Amino acid sequence: MTDQLTYPDVVNYAVPFFIVAILLELVWIVVKGRGGRYETRDALTSLIMGAGNVASGILLGFIAWGFFMLLWQITPLDLGTSVWVVVLCFVLDDLRYYWVHRFGHRIRWVWASHVNHHSSQHYNLTTALRQTWTGTFTFMMIVRAPLILLGFHPAMVLFCGGLNLIYQFWIHTEAIHKLPRWFESIMNTPSHHRVHHGRNARYLDCNYAGVFIIWDKMFGTFVPEQDDEKVDYGLVHNLGTFNPLRVAFHEWIGIFKDMSQSGLTLRERLMYAVAPPGWSHDQSRETSDQIKASHLAHHPEDRGTPGFS
Amino acid sequence: MPLEILLILVVGGISGIAVILHLLGLTSPRRLRDAEDARAAWLREFPYELPTDITLSADQRAALITTQAGPGLVWCLGADTVSRPLSGSDLSVTKNGLRVDFHDVGAPHARISLPDADRQKWRDLMRTA
Repeated sequence: MTDQLTYPDVVNYAVPFFIVAILLELVWIVVKGRGGRYETRDALTSLIMGAGNVASGILLGFIAWGFFMLLWQITPLDLGTSVWVVVLCFVLDDLRYYWVHRFGHRIRWVWASHVNHHSSQHYNLTTALRQTWTGTFTFMMIVRAPLILLGFHPAMVLFCGGLNLIYQFWIHTEAIHKLPRWFESIMNTPSHHRVHHGRNARYLDCNYAGVFIIWDKMFGTFVPEQDDEKVDYGLVHNLGTFNPLRVAFHEWIGIFKDMSQSGLTLRERLMYAVAPPGWSHDQSRETSDQIKASHLAHHPEDRGTPGFS
Repeated sequence: MPLEILLILVVGGISGIAVILHLLGLTSPRRLRDAEDARAAWLREFPYELPTDITLSADQRAALITTQAGPGLVWCLGADTVSRPLSGSDLSVTKNGLRVDFHDVGAPHARISLPDADRQKWRDLMRTA
């Protein structure tokens, strides 16, 4: 069984490409006067979140790595390192990404980590780098366990995860409208991912794909970008701060505050952690399902249209 | 990649991009054009709490919104806006105006810059709204 397998740390090697691409997008927007927006403090926060994500990987990466290597010792399977195995690993890891991402929007404990990625009201290439510092604490590494138990080496799985992340970088842009139909039908694209970042009732909780949009089509969560409804980016209730510490930890603190309220049952305390974001024991807030229902109550003509089916 | 190189790239990249954006005049450009703009900003976050009255700050970076459900505040953050109801918040006077503390980790406070003449009027409106 191969223990000493190494792959390049592709995300770190992509950092110069990220910087150049951001500058190119900025030049495009300034010269053309369209294709997105930038604001200094918003972009700075996104970039600091990205740097913090790299730092948290360096500091806490050993936890996931140790877990994966433990699984690798247990499994009797080893699929080897051929190119086709890497390709298969990439596709299956993207399916893993879809589910982790879906959990990230439907389970508040996981949302607490992911929310910062949606906290910008902008949608540009710096938004792609607004990544979590607290992913380790979601325990979503468990979703990768089947891949390793099937015989994909942990280093290969992380390599494919890195490639997945790099792919997702370029789709965080308004500078590209739509790509050829065949590409839009298979791959995640700027158009599909813009929808995912929308706070419009129609666009909540959809398009979870990383690389292949087919997963959303398979599992019924695909919503195409509507020409007559511009995407409004950000959170249902937007953050009133650019402080990276608040961006990184606000939802975790919110969970703690909610769970520690007096007079709750044990079930209610647990629900504040595991129910969809917006759940509350007294119905004082709204989940995305309730937001969509409120929208339909005020706009019944939208029933049955994309995002409201 | 050696950690020192990564560190230089990250720090240099972040600093460089921030400086370029600032020099391009892209720092905190948002102003509320008028009451309609403030109304749209409020409805963006609270679509079913209709404003009954809107008071813009003199610098057009904040607006006090009156609704049947109680008062709320819209304020500019960077190039965008944020809205929050005022219930449960604390109000204090600052050298340049007012400060609202929301007891919300994600939106801790809003500073409203107001000339002396407007300060008392806003305090009264916030109390009575």
